[in-house]
Amino acid sequence: MGKLVTEMLKGTLEGIVLAILSGRPAYGYEITAWLRDQGFSDIAEGTIYALLVRIEQRGLVDVEKVPSEKGPPRKVYSLNAQGREYLEEFWTTWSFLAGRLEQLREGGK
Amino acid sequence: MAAEPNEPKNRYRRYLEVVTGSLEDKRRYRRYKTRISQLPPDYRTAAEAMERYLLHLGLTDGADMTMYEDLADLFERSAIDETPIRDLFGEDPVEFVEAFVANYPAGQWRNRERNRLTSAIKRAAGEEPAGEDRTE
Repeated sequence: MGKLVTEMLKGTLEGIVLAILSGRPAYGYEITAWLRDQGFSDIAEGTIYALLVRIEQRGLVDVEKVPSEKGPPRKVYSLNAQGREYLEEFWTTWSFLAGRLEQLREGGK
Repeated sequence: MAAEPNEPKNRYRRYLEVVTGSLEDKRRYRRYKTRISQLPPDYRTAAEAMERYLLHLGLTDGADMTMYEDLADLFERSAIDETPIRDLFGEDPVEFVEAFVANYPAGQWRNRERNRLTSAIKRAAGEEPAGEDRTE
């Protein structure tokens, strides 16, 4: 993954994580693992953690602490009603942006 | 502790904390320090470097104990999962650290300067009568 994709991801990572959580609850490590599987290999685990802290503070997710075999309990995040609303807004904005960019590309040909 | 003298104790404690700062915060901070000191050496080094950066750059006032606890949670979890330090921090450690600290109240001077800039631009844009200098 190049530098460009990292830059482009910055503004969309929050939406991506919310979209992952809309499928099923997950903890931080699972989210990073999924992103890596999808080829987003440059995303720092810490960055995802910071993002999860943020969406928790903003009340977009519910958090459940699940005991783990070793160490502190894992925090499992699930999307709540407010988060779903926010995700809807994200997709609307995304469609707008993608549409405009596509127009630009067509126009540039 | 007796049930009734709750009020005097609180008052005493209030006076004391004017001098010493919040005792509860001190306890939480010490707990954080202990957790960090028990990490494997590489994780400890990384956590300490991160705390130093946060405090010295004034990115945070260092008074938000939740921040330290979130930090300790992250490092303990990573150490146990054996997440490589590089995977944790990514290519650019600064980027991760700034994203992390943005979740907590900013340091005092940082806040002051942000407000100063915002109100200066407001005046310059003619949205506010000149002369008012709100710095809080």
